[in-house]
Amino acid sequence: MEIVTPLQCDRRSQLYRWHQHTGASFEALAGSVVVTAYADAEFETRQARVLALADLSTLPRTGFKGIGTLDWLNDAGLQLPTSPNLARRQADGSLLARLSENELLVLDDLGASTALPTRLEAQWCLDSTTGVYFVPRYDSHCWFALTGEHAAATLAKVCGVDLRSHKFAEYSICQTSLAKVNAIILCINLAVTPCFFIFSDVSSTQYLWEAIMDAMAEFNGCCVGLEALRALQAG
Amino acid sequence: MKILNCPLNGPRNILEFSYGGEFHPMPDPSRCGSKEWAEYIYFAENQAGLVTEWWYHLASSYWFLAQRNTITDEIVRTFEVNEVFSERVEFSTQPEGDQNNG
Repeated sequence: MEIVTPLQCDRRSQLYRWHQHTGASFEALAGSVVVTAYADAEFETRQARVLALADLSTLPRTGFKGIGTLDWLNDAGLQLPTSPNLARRQADGSLLARLSENELLVLDDLGASTALPTRLEAQWCLDSTTGVYFVPRYDSHCWFALTGEHAAATLAKVCGVDLRSHKFAEYSICQTSLAKVNAIILCINLAVTPCFFIFSDVSSTQYLWEAIMDAMAEFNGCCVGLEALRALQAG
Repeated sequence: MKILNCPLNGPRNILEFSYGGEFHPMPDPSRCGSKEWAEYIYFAENQAGLVTEWWYHLASSYWFLAQRNTITDEIVRTFEVNEVFSERVEFSTQPEGDQNNG
């Protein structure tokens, strides 16, 4: 694994200074850097089973919308979620999240190994007759993962929607207000550990990070790096 | 807390929504005159009773319609715009002379 610093990359998380000040170690991934860990990776894996927050903002993602989007993605060989506000995992590990009847968010896996967002962006071209429009999501939104058994209880402090597992099943999507900012919340468990992916406007990145960290304090949650999430996903 | 039922996202705190004004059928912009178009854009009926209104869910950028009683402030029904619009409305990007000056 190549050790790098955020300043070596043009694309950085809005939180990179915070990560540096918190003692994070970084690794190169998909043309950018992600936090590998802040402390001992085994400790962070144990912590992520209880409650932890990770910044995934530099992982690849994209979006498309328009009346021809479902057919276009279907023709590309992808498995579509059956209804709005549902996500579906693809065979390669990437995710399609259907935000409305004709709008989808495309997420790479935690290793940024599928290259699906990049591939779809390369295939797309502006043609009003196809009814498929590109919705950039890489630089517009931050991407956090909130993991652990207390994740739903933490979100209950800052969100009005009931996100407990018996009310909000895996692959469900909720578009709502989170700590007073608009957010997309997606339930994607890491093996048996509850996990919520959170997307919000990039201008709210630092505020939302600090608001969730503050909410986690009641349950002794802390920030973790990507290594802990990969360990959880591997079971 | 007042709850509004979004057709896409379900029941949500009304603070997640923005009011978009009264719903009126849109005149054909390529055929109507300036007076009719200005009335469509700027005028409101402010009717007492059951009205249809535009509402917008901020977190999902989703427009929909709601029937609300303006006397009791009761929201009777919310529904998707495809109940009203069956096809996309195209707007010409080319100026079309002075036909809208009437």
